Amino acid sequence: MSSQILARALFSLALAAIVAVPVFGAPAAPPAAPGGPVTLVVPTSVDARSMNPNWQSDSGGFDPTSNINCHLVAVDWGVTKGTSVYGDLAESWTADRAARVYTFKLRRNARFHDGRPVTSADVKYTYETVMDKRYPLRAYLADVKEIRTPDPATVVIELNNPDAAFVAMLGIASNWFGKILPKHLYEGKDWPTADVNARPVGCGPFKFIEWARGNFITLEANPDYHMGRAKIDRLIFRIITDQSVAYAEFQAGRFPYLPNVYLPSYAEVAKRMTKDPEIDVVFTPSIYSRDLYLNLKREPLNNLKVRQAIAHALDRRMMNQLAFFGIWKPSWYAGIDGVPQFLNKRARFPDANLKKAEDLLEEAGLKKGADGMRFRISLTNYPVTDSRVISEVVVQQLKRVGIDVRWEQFDTQTWLSRLRAGNFDISTYFVRYAPDPDAYREHFGTGQARNFVGYSNAEFDKIVDDARRTTDNTRRKELYGRAQDILVREMPYINLFMESKFSMVRKGWKGFSVQEDGHNKSMTWFGYHAVTPPGR
Amino acid sequence: MRLRRFLVLRMIQLVPVLLVVVVLNFVLIHLAPGDVALAMAGENPDPVYMAAIRERFGLDKPLHVQLLTYIARIAQGDLGDSFRSRRPVTETLLERVPATLLLVATALAFSSLLGTIVGTWIARRAGGGLDVWVSGLAVASYSVPVFWLGLMLILFLAIRVPVFPPSGMMSVTGVAPGLARWLDILHHLVLPALALSTVWFGQYVRIARSSVLQVLSEDFVTTARAIGYPERQVLFGHVLPNAMLPVVTVLGLQLGLVLAGAVLTETVFAWPGLGQLVYESILARDTPLIVGSYVVMGVCVVAASLLVDLVYAALDPRVEL
Repeated sequence: MSSQILARALFSLALAAIVAVPVFGAPAAPPAAPGGPVTLVVPTSVDARSMNPNWQSDSGGFDPTSNINCHLVAVDWGVTKGTSVYGDLAESWTADRAARVYTFKLRRNARFHDGRPVTSADVKYTYETVMDKRYPLRAYLADVKEIRTPDPATVVIELNNPDAAFVAMLGIASNWFGKILPKHLYEGKDWPTADVNARPVGCGPFKFIEWARGNFITLEANPDYHMGRAKIDRLIFRIITDQSVAYAEFQAGRFPYLPNVYLPSYAEVAKRMTKDPEIDVVFTPSIYSRDLYLNLKREPLNNLKVRQAIAHALDRRMMNQLAFFGIWKPSWYAGIDGVPQFLNKRARFPDANLKKAEDLLEEAGLKKGADGMRFRISLTNYPVTDSRVISEVVVQQLKRVGIDVRWEQFDTQTWLSRLRAGNFDISTYFVRYAPDPDAYREHFGTGQARNFVGYSNAEFDKIVDDARRTTDNTRRKELYGRAQDILVREMPYINLFMESKFSMVRKGWKGFSVQEDGHNKSMTWFGYHAVTPPGR
Repeated sequence: MRLRRFLVLRMIQLVPVLLVVVVLNFVLIHLAPGDVALAMAGENPDPVYMAAIRERFGLDKPLHVQLLTYIARIAQGDLGDSFRSRRPVTETLLERVPATLLLVATALAFSSLLGTIVGTWIARRAGGGLDVWVSGLAVASYSVPVFWLGLMLILFLAIRVPVFPPSGMMSVTGVAPGLARWLDILHHLVLPALALSTVWFGQYVRIARSSVLQVLSEDFVTTARAIGYPERQVLFGHVLPNAMLPVVTVLGLQLGLVLAGAVLTETVFAWPGLGQLVYESILARDTPLIVGSYVVMGVCVVAASLLVDLVYAALDPRVEL
């Protein structure tokens, strides 16, 4: 009797579930009905924290704020083709001969989303507030002596010292926290807590519409954008945390673009590259490398012979096969192909040679113990997939010459703070070589922000300092060539790969910042201004 | 009168529990390397900027001073502001709690109800073929990792056969407010709730089955049957009330975890609940949000155990408050 009741209950529950489905309707159809408004949905892995991008580094905010706001100048992902830095709000700029005074001419048709014109006063207000409050962009404005606004369409930035890299570095930092804010809405207010942040008013290609926290952020094309209206009508950033879910949804055609952070395994990418009629695997050269930072303050890494031995123990081609299924590009230089104008091909890190590696370690007095190991060392990595798979192989390759490696993995914050504290032996890192080679100073100059290895060489310091103070490119090439010679000779780091960014785009879609036809038009790495849907 | 005294006592107990929650989490977060200033400073961290951030949030003070300041503020009912969004923590949490509640309450109701029904049902056929099968399935559903199950559900019911939306809580392409929006949310709720309740379902089947089985063998059941009560009355009037105590215990435990128990599910399904928020806050070292969330979760655990005690007293006349 009771079993009948239960059975009936179960059946009606099941029935209810089945019946309920059609009532709710089918899931949202893919966008881009012919002729109708075009909505581009882009997955993003972290929610924004604030809609004001300038007072902190907010990785979740990069996507929306880079499209709502405009920048003085912008830089592309690949920087291999065309100019390395181009104007967004700036129509043109000139530097004096000494590379100390920069004059920017602004576009006269630029307006904020509330209709007010964007003028030199907004640029001055934004940059001066950054300098005053020491917000993150200040690192790139540290040497600014004065910002002048002779007229509404002219900004003059005067530096204390010559700096040929100034505009390019301003461009790259603008990706993250160098957006021009409306003075008339922010003046006298605290950026982090200003009420304007809730409904941001920018001067970028898209207007803010809605932020459903934890869900999605909706923007709409700004018809009055000074570089022309975007070809898509709505831009929606949808939060999807899980990599596999994002990939599955991309495959099912629920959005046309899979940013590289969501990339599936390299095996899967390699497979897709060769045979998928509907999906383009887009390769974007990067301005970063993947390399090993060797802590010079630690035994036995302070011994050059040991560093050379490590370099000889590493087989990049094998690493490429094992870690990346052969689709990355190994590099033996202290630079990247993406910046050929400054690359010194004579300065080359050694090839794999196990015999040589073992000999060097013997010379260094590091004999093999009973277990076949000479010494023990720890390795940590930048917590992203590519660096993790590189590390897996490095551990094995170093073991071949008797270096016992303990591999430690951390979350980004932990890893970064250990690096900054010099609390590591070897770590993977990402040296940035562009948009200006001044980065060599940043990475290996004595006491510089990213010199985690404790490298210090007076000759090197002088060379990179001289190179920064000249705009003569022949001279700069010669100086940076010498800097690369020194780095390869002294090996505070060992370059392994040029970073290879892969993303996926459904056929027919064009103009994403990772694609060549998005270059010089995307307005930052996170910009969607140049995206063109199929058939437009 | 006695009930009121009991309630007051429990309220007083809440204080030390919350104190432990706060102290423990506060210390744990500060033990983790890296701090919010470094996270906020970006690629080329400026020491002055970081120092200003630390000063602004009092992070430059000794840990015990920070802790005492925080406790003093919580005592006034203020959970502080998030470091990263500068919005009040309470406001941020209130935004996220409904999503989590909806997901977990649905899954909990579904799994406990259905699990108990099925468990009772097979207990009466213990040892039979059906019992073996259903018990096996229950163990299987109990041991499936929820993220894997979630992914499979997405692949089959959202991608292969696109019946449900794969992730998120609402359609991004504008749904009119009102009934349509509610239906849209329910539509999005199906897969995550299914994943979560499948995993929980198994344990309710197991507990209900063994509990009912045990009660069925008690003398008073034999007596009731001997008196000639109809089987339905024996089951519903005598067996179930006695067999429900373990089920209520488990339900109570899970009710306590109602806000914390769905982190993985929320991550897979991009469900904008508290779990997702806590996960992001931990990676960003947003201490006020992390500790604030744990305080709310702690309150939940205490409230749930209080509720269980009350239900116990109602179900079992031997239990006195």
